[in-house]
Amino acid sequence: MRRLDELTPGEEARVRAVQAPGRLLRRLFALGIRPGARVRLLRRAPLGDPLEVRVGESLVALRKQEARDVVLEDEG
Amino acid sequence: MNCPRCQAHPVKPTPRARKIALLGNPNTGKTTLINALAGSHLQVGNWPGTTVERLEARERTPEGERVYIDLPGAYSLLSSTPEEAIATRALLEDPPDALLVVLDAGNLERNLPLLLEATELGLPMVVALNLMDEARAKGYVLCPKALETELGVPVVPVVASRGEGVAELKAALDRATLPKPALTYPPAIERALEAIEAVLEGPARRARAALLLAGERVPAPQVAKRAAEAARAELAELGIDPYLELTGARFARARDLFKRALKGHNPRPTLTDRIDRFVLHPVLGPALFLLGMLFVFRFTFLFSGPWVEFIGRVQEVLSGWTWGLGLPPLLASFVSGALIAGVGTVLSFAPVLFFLYLAMGFLETSGFLARSAFIADRLMHAVGLPGRAFIPMILGFGCNVPAIYATRTLESFGDRLKTALAIPFMACSARLPVFALFAAVFFPKHAALVVFGLYLTGLVLGLLTAALIGRIAKTEPASGVMELPPYRWPPLRVLLAQARVRTMDFVRGASGPILLAMVLIWALLHLPPGPIAQSLYARFAQLLAPLFAPLGFSDWRLVGALVPGFIAKEVVVGALGVSFLGAEPTPALGLLAGAQDLAAAFLTALKETFAALFALIGLPQLLPPAEAPAPGLAAALTRATDARGALAYLVFVLLYTPCVATLVALRQELGRRWAAFSVAYQLSVAYLASFLATRMLP
Repeated sequence: MRRLDELTPGEEARVRAVQAPGRLLRRLFALGIRPGARVRLLRRAPLGDPLEVRVGESLVALRKQEARDVVLEDEG
Repeated sequence: MNCPRCQAHPVKPTPRARKIALLGNPNTGKTTLINALAGSHLQVGNWPGTTVERLEARERTPEGERVYIDLPGAYSLLSSTPEEAIATRALLEDPPDALLVVLDAGNLERNLPLLLEATELGLPMVVALNLMDEARAKGYVLCPKALETELGVPVVPVVASRGEGVAELKAALDRATLPKPALTYPPAIERALEAIEAVLEGPARRARAALLLAGERVPAPQVAKRAAEAARAELAELGIDPYLELTGARFARARDLFKRALKGHNPRPTLTDRIDRFVLHPVLGPALFLLGMLFVFRFTFLFSGPWVEFIGRVQEVLSGWTWGLGLPPLLASFVSGALIAGVGTVLSFAPVLFFLYLAMGFLETSGFLARSAFIADRLMHAVGLPGRAFIPMILGFGCNVPAIYATRTLESFGDRLKTALAIPFMACSARLPVFALFAAVFFPKHAALVVFGLYLTGLVLGLLTAALIGRIAKTEPASGVMELPPYRWPPLRVLLAQARVRTMDFVRGASGPILLAMVLIWALLHLPPGPIAQSLYARFAQLLAPLFAPLGFSDWRLVGALVPGFIAKEVVVGALGVSFLGAEPTPALGLLAGAQDLAAAFLTALKETFAALFALIGLPQLLPPAEAPAPGLAAALTRATDARGALAYLVFVLLYTPCVATLVALRQELGRRWAAFSVAYQLSVAYLASFLATRMLP
């Protein structure tokens, strides 16, 4: 089971589930990170954390720990 | 014939909408749109019971006054941040006459769920499809008419920054209508909503029912809350999460609406992608980030410096004139030393704040602030602060007051609290004259080391404070999830208008407390009239002095100078001079000589502002050349204490209390209780740290 923080920069995947607690879940949903959405990891910050993700037309930053709550579909 | 009263007050047609609230996702250009709609008649205040900024603008129309209210940016009425909760509460508790929903046309699909949620509020509505220029640049061809047909409300394409479509939008606001029902939910959810609606009264029943069903805390009668709980329990038994169902239905409908409005898409790499390749580059990014921070710091203080000095000159000239009036000395001293000096102190913060607000406004609207937060997040997270806290902390080294106002850009109250309480520990430039004086007199060989050590001590204690406050206030750490908005060129008009109203807000709030403090300290120093050694000030200081014996400085003149230091820490030096060497009389100034002085000072300020344009790029001067202390003062100081006491005194001055203007800022941003806390807390920390400092020297 792959998670969002395991993507390599430039890689894209579909979100299967968001297993975050209340407020964080709402925040991720609001920004478009929700089941079915395609996310692409753009880059990691210079110090390795947080990550920058593109979802639709939005650029979203989130910490590694928060990205772990986003489960991705297996490819293929 | 006609009733004379009616002639005097002809009946005007009542406008359809007098109070219009702007609702939209963050970064959709709502503030720019308000500015385009109502000119620059902006007003700022706070949302009731919060320290979140509330911006509104009034426009005079032939039919009467129209008020536009900028709601905090929200992705949904189902809040995930306190700001979103404010928007929801404002809409439910004090509903506007009409709702203007602002959408980012270049990110339409993600903006539509909020619009759909808003249709359930039962308010007349108009939609502004803003940022059409960006949408075109991204290759989107959109059809606003399709949205209009689907929603049944006017949809107006707009480019707020250039004023395009604004006239059409104003006209559409007179046609604001109730939207068509736009959403249907799965049967189980519909049934639950209807059950809650049945026990609700008043407007926005569908919206409130949906909020209650999703578990949101909104004001509602007990019976409705119980109905919502029952419905939630019932759905839970069926394995249905109402939040997922509600948002799922909205997202699906948003996608459908988006497809109907989309006439073509020809994706193109955006300017943002290209800029980010440099700004967020692993190596180049941090370098640009540091340069950017330096730029903001220097912009704020280099441009404001000449005007702060100018205000000081005006103050001197006014004092000189006062002394030239032939008033009784005590009265002249009161007018010049308390009133003029007080007003001058308040005003001297205005240029600093104005330029800071310009810089912060630029960073925030341009998109650079979010990038700097992205780069600094890891570093700041180590001490429990978000990346956005970096800029306020750095600004603190220039002046604590603008630094505390800069914490407004932090997202959660907890983060603002931690950062704002840490900022007064940053050694601001007003403390430098005190450091320079004592370091030169007592540690001539290690002056730079001592000053550097003080800066470092302040920084470390500030960061520890942030960590400590996080623990004791049990504030929920803000999530790191944030949007990196596209780069945009901020409209200068909006930046200037915002900087102006925010600066005026400070001047209004700070005038009272600063004047009061000035009058009190003047009274201490000058009553009863006579030599300073017999003043209330001396007696008060002598009373306090034994408290400081353990710190190695108990000379009443040293202790006393801490009291006026509350006005601004640099005043400590002047107060020491007066109490050790006696006051220098203020020279009286003739009308003409004073006017000449003012004109010259104004020209100098103008010239230096231009010079600052070039100095912006130069390297910062960390330690301005210290003026040699007056020999009399140096000798008197060495008689009053030793090196150990001097070090303790420096540590105490570094830490003991936020100055009165900083306190005003803390009160405005955090509330009275936390401002009081910061005084007590810092006094304790200062006492303890000074005591430890005396143990460090042999």
